[in-house]
Amino acid sequence: MINEYHRPETIGAAIDLLARKEPVTIPLGGGTKISQRTKQEFAVVDLQGLGLNHIKLLENQLEIDSSVNLEQLCNYPDLVPGLKNVITHQAGQNLRQMATMGGAVAALDGKSPILTALLALDTQLIWEPGEIITSIGDWLPVRHKQKPGLLIVKLRIPRQVDFRYEAVARTPMDFPLVCVAAVIWPSGRTRVTLGGFGAEPILVFDGVGKEGAEIVAGSAFSKAGDEWASSEYRSEIAQVLTKRILSFDSTDPSRSWGVKDGAG
Amino acid sequence: MNIVITINKEVKSYKVSPNDTLLTVLRREGYFGVKFGGCQHGECGACTVLLDGKPINSCAILAAQADGHVIETIEAYGENPEQGWKKTKGLSAIQKAFVESGAIQCGFCTPAMVLVAQGLLENNPNPTEQEVREALSGILCRCTGYLKPVQAIMRAARIIRGEEVLPISEEGIPLPPEWMEGRKIYLEMESQEDTRKLTQTRITPRILVTPQTQKWSHVGKPEPKVDGIKLVQGKPAFTTDIEMRGMLVAKVLFSPVAHAQIKRIDTSKAKALPGVAAVLTWQDIPRVVYSTAGQSDPIPGPLDSFSLDSKVRFVGDRVAFVAAETEEIAQKALGLIDVEYEPLPVILDPQKAMEQGAVRIHDEPEYVKFDHADPTKNLAAQIRIDIGSVEKGFEQADRIIEGDYEVPKVQQVHIEPHVVVTYWDEDNRMVIRTSTQVPFHVRRILAPVLNLPVKRIRVIKPRIGGGFGGKQEVLIEDVAAHLTIATGRPVRFEYTREEEFIAARSRHPMRIHMRTGVKLDGTITANEMVVLADTGAYGCHALTVTGNTGHKSMALYVGDGEYRKSPNIRFYADVVYTNHPPAGAFRGYGVPQGYWAVERQMERIARDLGIDPIEFRLKNALHPGELHPFSTSWSEGREPKPEVIHTVGLEECVRHGKAAIGWDQKQMDPSWRDIPGYPHLKKGLGVALVMQGTAIPYLDMGGASIKMNDDGSFNLLIGATDLGTGSDTVLAQMAAEVLGVTIDDILVYSSDTDFTPFDKGAYASSTTYVSGAAVVRAAQQVAERLKIRAARMINDSGGNPIKPEDITLRERNATSPDGRSVTLAEIGYDSLHHTDQEQIMAVASFYSPVSPPPFAAQFAEVTVDIETGQVIVDKLVMAVDSGVIVNPVTASGQIEGGMTQALGYAVCEEMVYDEKGAARERNLVDYHIYRSNEMPELEVIFVETFEPSHPFGVKAVAEIPMDGVAPAVGNAILDACGADLHIIPTTPERIWSALRIARKG
Repeated sequence: MINEYHRPETIGAAIDLLARKEPVTIPLGGGTKISQRTKQEFAVVDLQGLGLNHIKLLENQLEIDSSVNLEQLCNYPDLVPGLKNVITHQAGQNLRQMATMGGAVAALDGKSPILTALLALDTQLIWEPGEIITSIGDWLPVRHKQKPGLLIVKLRIPRQVDFRYEAVARTPMDFPLVCVAAVIWPSGRTRVTLGGFGAEPILVFDGVGKEGAEIVAGSAFSKAGDEWASSEYRSEIAQVLTKRILSFDSTDPSRSWGVKDGAG
Repeated sequence: MNIVITINKEVKSYKVSPNDTLLTVLRREGYFGVKFGGCQHGECGACTVLLDGKPINSCAILAAQADGHVIETIEAYGENPEQGWKKTKGLSAIQKAFVESGAIQCGFCTPAMVLVAQGLLENNPNPTEQEVREALSGILCRCTGYLKPVQAIMRAARIIRGEEVLPISEEGIPLPPEWMEGRKIYLEMESQEDTRKLTQTRITPRILVTPQTQKWSHVGKPEPKVDGIKLVQGKPAFTTDIEMRGMLVAKVLFSPVAHAQIKRIDTSKAKALPGVAAVLTWQDIPRVVYSTAGQSDPIPGPLDSFSLDSKVRFVGDRVAFVAAETEEIAQKALGLIDVEYEPLPVILDPQKAMEQGAVRIHDEPEYVKFDHADPTKNLAAQIRIDIGSVEKGFEQADRIIEGDYEVPKVQQVHIEPHVVVTYWDEDNRMVIRTSTQVPFHVRRILAPVLNLPVKRIRVIKPRIGGGFGGKQEVLIEDVAAHLTIATGRPVRFEYTREEEFIAARSRHPMRIHMRTGVKLDGTITANEMVVLADTGAYGCHALTVTGNTGHKSMALYVGDGEYRKSPNIRFYADVVYTNHPPAGAFRGYGVPQGYWAVERQMERIARDLGIDPIEFRLKNALHPGELHPFSTSWSEGREPKPEVIHTVGLEECVRHGKAAIGWDQKQMDPSWRDIPGYPHLKKGLGVALVMQGTAIPYLDMGGASIKMNDDGSFNLLIGATDLGTGSDTVLAQMAAEVLGVTIDDILVYSSDTDFTPFDKGAYASSTTYVSGAAVVRAAQQVAERLKIRAARMINDSGGNPIKPEDITLRERNATSPDGRSVTLAEIGYDSLHHTDQEQIMAVASFYSPVSPPPFAAQFAEVTVDIETGQVIVDKLVMAVDSGVIVNPVTASGQIEGGMTQALGYAVCEEMVYDEKGAARERNLVDYHIYRSNEMPELEVIFVETFEPSHPFGVKAVAEIPMDGVAPAVGNAILDACGADLHIIPTTPERIWSALRIARKG
């Protein structure tokens, strides 16, 4: 139950509100999660007045303000190839118009295609106050212990990388039972993440080359069983998809089977 | 707090709570075009508005977030083109296209789709089909299969761009000559340009018409829906689109446990909460046993339900009712009700429910048995049907093939949840305004429950946002009515999406064993189906749903030769109580369950014998002129009477369906199965032949009344219930055909128990056939009076005398053979004001001694990833013999929507419970239904036959598309990769497991 609504016009004012001990105060991005009715009472700080809705092209990175919504990112012309398909998998267009990137990293779970992709991209989170930079990989496992008074204001993702994604789901646009994202930097650095299960996606490989990645992926999901899929299945499919995306020709635009042509 | 929003170009200031969603505020302020789909995760999109020109879900945004922004709702767009002396712009181009293209079925999600289209076309006037589908991806539609909305938006785009479009009636693609020659046609959708062109032109489906259809003016024509203009404007046409002073909000406390006695219940704290008007428990209301199944009297099932009971039988069963001033107060009051449950053993496995010593789920003394129900054995219904000499048939077989099959519990997912408003009218009669498929059954069934005589209840059915059988249940009307009785005030009760999942009805899950005897030449000598069905905690529809599982699916294949004259068929079923939520009616009514087993079994037999699967099926399928094999054995718990099947268009359906999917070419081309560069992908084709029924013989009755007005228009009053199917429209078309007027001269008013004649309601695929025949009879009586008066009026003007029977009614005129005529308006004035004054009107009703089955051939093309088990359904084709098609646009919309629901049944939909009986699926994220941007290509072909038992030769359309998609997909998966699935949905892990078994041999 939301009992207070604030729409500050500066980041400082927002942080002051978020730093309060009472009432519990939560940043409000698009609102798609927070507007769901809950029993406990809390206050919200709507970030729409902070002007955090721009995407900036840096030399090798995209700097994405935390209030940029998924549809805005989807339509950004210099987006990493392949990421658009992942965003369309995350939600239908209406919700993409509302859900923000900051909200996505704060609230989405291990089933999330976009969160799995952001982890593979080794996304940097920029926080205020203090312009603190953390990697998404460091933050995700501890995000539920987030101290009050901190606010994600930007995300940075690499741009000149080879991004790949494969998923298995009941239908082309259903949430994945298993998804694998891989990012290969020009230096040869390769990061592989697994999603489709649990509270957060997991990093299974970060190194040069790809040797052993599929075995590690299989092991990482060896206990990933739930009411949606067995661990035996997830473990094998994690290996299959990891092997597949690390071996295919990334210049072929028709890859990513299961995604309708043109959806991305 | 105060917010200021510009809504539809007007600046408005509202006082809101920080917790209010934008949806709540908009509906509170009367913007009823913004719909509530019950969801709490923004997944359905029915509440779409444009915020600063972009579509968003108003349920997932706080009203405070909209402060300072520009909001557009559907009320901003279009006006009725006819408003007397006032000139209006009429509908917008998008709205017109939606009406003309048949993109509106129930209309509940239509405002959202129109707004999305508006947002899209303003920024992109020349979208591709994929861009349109992506734009619609945030809106769930359970009726249309999205094809016609996509077509409507592309048509509107052309109009907005200033390009010419053909009228819908001229846009059908004629049957190409190459169909007859079996040439390749499957490549025609390949290029984007071709796709776009086809999408714009394929609004009317391909039809092989009967000679009779060609001479009619309105029957067989793609007339726009009679309710289209109001629905496309988002007019307040649905149950809760009303405001009433002092209306309370109802909530139900649902059981958190699957089986328990309520030991103690204390409502004192809830009652003391300010704003609470009433709290009711089982101790407060009369204990009246009844069935929630909305069926004719006597209910063919046990009476085993109470409005409230001292025992709960599933997670989601009712414990208490609350009425309060606001939803928040009602919700809070639920939390203040203190309940002590005494747990009882929980039975979730239907097999264990019948074991000796199993806990008895229904031990109440008031329980009323029907037929072979036996609550001491947890048996809600039992069926034992033996036709012919089954054991002898098995003895004569060269091979006996057995198989076990399983189908899941699935949800109807009508986008409008169950919703009702009740109030006392000025005569202290209980008015129940409800989203129901069965208004007359609601009135009859609730009368004893509320301790009111039938005559003191009025049930009104406004527009319905989809039902699919889920609203053939008298499910929530009693809650609101009890609370109105308790408080004296109007009460609104509406399920949330989560409540739909835990406390509404569903399709019966079944375990099915098949045993089939065959000769080596492919003749079926005996066929046996044994079903174990789980009805859940209550036995609503238990007997009739499960009976139809056998009655329709096991009737199709009678055998060949001597077996054709005397088929050997056995159908046994046990329908048991468990502590799952109750099952009930769902489009197809037991038949899709049966066809999963029968059509998978037929495929396996054909492959086992090395016979072409289609030839094998046709060899054993029913022929015209043969007796429905079950018609002498079973009729929904009533006395069976023999029925001859006069029309069977199955062979034509197969021929045209095969051509459309490219069956022969693809099967003969081994390279077609592989996709170059993707060795893990394999393609396959599958088929299923199916039949349904049309109404329940000797039972279903529909009534119609037609009254003439001064201007030659007619009021058509029908009890039939249009739940988005377009039945009001096709009934108007039939009336217009007989009376010689246009469809807009027929003013349809349906489903109000005070004003319209009785109708059994919308179920059993009966409305076009049964209610349509009643309309035709009433229209014929009116036509007779029109001709008598016309002949007299013409004769009075001199010339050769003519007889009434020589008069023809056409184009709003009554015309004699020599060309003299009077207009119907002249007859209207003459009859009401001038000469021998009379009200020309008639009432008629119809019930049928037969239930002529529609037939269909359903085809699926799939691609399977043999490493992961993921299946993508690429194309579905359905060639259907539904008799004469009254309206090809609405009928094809029914088929497309039905195929899409059936596709979900095939690949992704199921309701799963934990060991305590708690539901896994509680929203439309976990329970995934198909979205616009992931649909396969859909193709519908109508192969008309003329059914002689109906004046316009019609049979049913609505349910049959549910039957064959799942087995066609299952057979296609087998064809693609050898995975032999016995269970649906065909999830990736199930296919992966079946592939492992297949590889092991």
